[in-house]
Amino acid sequence: MEMLNNLAFGFHHALSLDNLLYCAIGCVVGTIIGLLPGLGPLATISLLLPLTYAIPTSGALIMLAGIYYGAQYGDSVSAITMRMPHAGSIVACIDGHAMTLQGRTGLALFTAGVSSFIGGTVAIIVLAALAPSLGQVAILFGPADYCALMLLGFVCVSVVTTGSVLNGVAMCLLGVLLGQIGTDLDTGVQRFTFGLPSLMEGVSVVSVALGCFGIAELTKNLDAGEQRTPFGGTIRLMPSWPEFKRIIPSALRGSIVGSLLGILPGGGPVIAQFAAYGLDKKVSRYRHEIGKGAIEGVAGQAAADEAAARTSFIPLMAIGIPENPVMALMMAAFMIKGVQPGPNMIGDHPDLFWGLVASMWIGNCFLLLLNVPLVRIWLSIFKVSYGVLFPAILFFCCIGTFSINNNLDDVVTTAAFGLLGYVLMRVRFDPAPLMLGFILGPMLEEYFRRAMVLSHGDLLTFVQQPISATLVGFTCLLVIGQTAFAARNAFKADPKDGGNEDEIAGHSGRGPGAAVTADHAGAGIP
Amino acid sequence: MPRQSTAQGLLLAAIGLFFGLNALRYPVGTLARFGPGLFPLVVSAALLVLAVAMLVRSRFITSPPLHFNIRNIAIIMAALAGFVVVTTFVDMAAGIVVLVFTATLAGTAYHWRRNALVAAGLIVIALAFEQLLGLRLGVV
Repeated sequence: MEMLNNLAFGFHHALSLDNLLYCAIGCVVGTIIGLLPGLGPLATISLLLPLTYAIPTSGALIMLAGIYYGAQYGDSVSAITMRMPHAGSIVACIDGHAMTLQGRTGLALFTAGVSSFIGGTVAIIVLAALAPSLGQVAILFGPADYCALMLLGFVCVSVVTTGSVLNGVAMCLLGVLLGQIGTDLDTGVQRFTFGLPSLMEGVSVVSVALGCFGIAELTKNLDAGEQRTPFGGTIRLMPSWPEFKRIIPSALRGSIVGSLLGILPGGGPVIAQFAAYGLDKKVSRYRHEIGKGAIEGVAGQAAADEAAARTSFIPLMAIGIPENPVMALMMAAFMIKGVQPGPNMIGDHPDLFWGLVASMWIGNCFLLLLNVPLVRIWLSIFKVSYGVLFPAILFFCCIGTFSINNNLDDVVTTAAFGLLGYVLMRVRFDPAPLMLGFILGPMLEEYFRRAMVLSHGDLLTFVQQPISATLVGFTCLLVIGQTAFAARNAFKADPKDGGNEDEIAGHSGRGPGAAVTADHAGAGIP
Repeated sequence: MPRQSTAQGLLLAAIGLFFGLNALRYPVGTLARFGPGLFPLVVSAALLVLAVAMLVRSRFITSPPLHFNIRNIAIIMAALAGFVVVTTFVDMAAGIVVLVFTATLAGTAYHWRRNALVAAGLIVIALAFEQLLGLRLGVV
C-alpha cells in the first residue's frame, strides 16, 4: 500500500507539464542520437549531458533517464533494420535482422517496442518495491564491505562487457588511476597534475566519456569507411492478433529475467538480453524458429533489455554504488546536479526518487506512442551523409566539454582522452569498464583508506567481516572460474579463431547465455 | 607490427609504470596512515601485474596483427587543436570553421560547399545554444 502511495506521489510530481516535456525530449533525442552508428548509450548520454545543465534538477534527471531509454531503443532499431549493433543490442541483431530480411521489419520494431514497455513496467514494480528496503541493507555496509562490493563490480563488469576478466579489470584499474588525477582531498597534495592548472580539480567525467566514447568511436567509424546502406524497406507496424499473442509470454519471461539480472553487480542490459534469449530458446513453444526470425527472439531480449536497464538503477539509488558503466555515468550526472545517489537519496529527495521512478514509466509510454509510430522519420537520419554528421558530432563534443567550465583547456583534455580511447580500441580493449573505474576510483580510495584506519592497517579485515568476506569470496570464485574457462578455451581453440577467444569465452560463461554463443558466433556479428 | 595481445600488455605496462613511478614522488605513508602516494602505487602495481599476465598470455594465444590507421586520428586531433587555438585567439565561429574544414579531411570525399553549409549550420546552432540555453560560448 505504501508503495502505491509513493508511486502516486511520484506520478503527481512527474506529471507536471515541464517534466513531461523533458521526458519526451529526452526519449526522442536519445533515440535519434542512439541510432547513429557507433554511438551507444554511454556516448549518447555524455553527448546530451550539456543539454541538462540549464534545466532544474528533477527535470534534468528525468530527461537523462529518458535519453538513456531512448538511446537503448535507438540501438535496437539500428540493430533490427541494418544489423548495426552497438554494445547494447547484439542479441537484437540475430532474430530482429532476420525478420527484416523476411520483410517483417515493422513487426520486429513493434515487438521490440511493446516488449520494452512490458519489461519496463515489470521492472518499475520491482524497483518501487525493492529500492527502499535495499536502502536499509546499505546501512549495514562498512567501508571494507563497500570496497569488496566495488571490486566484485569490477570483476562482474569485466566478465559481462569484455568477456575477459584480465582485459576488463585492467581497464577498471586504468580508470581508477585516471580518477587519481587532481588534488588529493585528504592531504591537499596534487597528484599527476604535472603543474597544469586545468588538471587541479581532476579530469571531468564528461571529458573522459566524450573522449573515450564520442571522439574515439567516431574516428573508428571513419577508419571503417562509409559503408552504410540506409534502410529503405517498407514498415508495416500493426501485427495480426496471433502474432500479438506470441509477444506476451516471451516478453513476460524476459521481463522477469531482466529485472533480476539488472540488480546484480555487473549486471545490466547486455547480460540480461543473452539470458532471456537463451531462456526462450529452451522453453518457448516456438523455440525451433528462434534464430531464424522468430517474434520470441526479439520480444524476450527487448523486454529483458529494458527491464534490466531500469532495475540497474536499484543498486545506484539504494546503495550508492553504480554497477555498470552506464550507471556510473548516470551517477556522475546526478552529482553534477548536486544529488548524491545512495541510501539517503530516498529520504532526502523523495520527490526526485519517486518522480524518477514514475517518469520511467511515462518514458515507456512515450517510447511506445512516439518512437514506435515515428520510427520511419527517425530512420531518415541515415540518409544524411556521414560527412555531415561527424563534424557535427565533433562540434557537440567540443561544446559539451567547453560549457562545463567555459574553459578551452577541457577541450584539450577531451581530445587527449579521445586519443587514449582510440589507442585502447585499436589494441582491442573495450574502454567501457574504464568509465566505471574512473567514477568509483575516488570512492574506492576513500573507503579503502577508512577500512585501513579502522583496522589499524590490517588487510585481513576484508576477510574477517561477514559481508566483505562473502563478496571477496564471490570475486575470487569468479576470477578463478573465468580464468580456468579462458585457459581451457585458449588451448582448445583453433588457431584461426584465436582473436575471438576472449569474446566467446565471455559469452559462454554466463549460464543461460551459453545457448546463444553458437548463434552469436554463427551470425558473424562483430 | 606487433600482435594485438602483445601490444595490449606493452601498453598497460607503460601506463602502469608511468603512474607507479610518478606515485613514488608523493609520500607513501603506511597502511594505517595513508600518504597520497599509497593508493595510486597499489593500483599501478596491480595494473603492472595484469600487464605481465597479458604478456604471458600473448605467448600462448594467437591474435591478429595490430591494425593501426594513424591518418584519421591525426586529422581529428589536428581539427580539435585548431578549434582550441582559433577559438582562443579569434572567436568560436572561426573555430567552428577550422574544425569542420580540418576534420572533413578524414572523410572519403571533400566538398567545399558542403563543409561551408555544415559550418554555417553549426554556427547557427552554437548561437541558438548561447541565446536559448544560456551557455556562454563567445561565438562571435
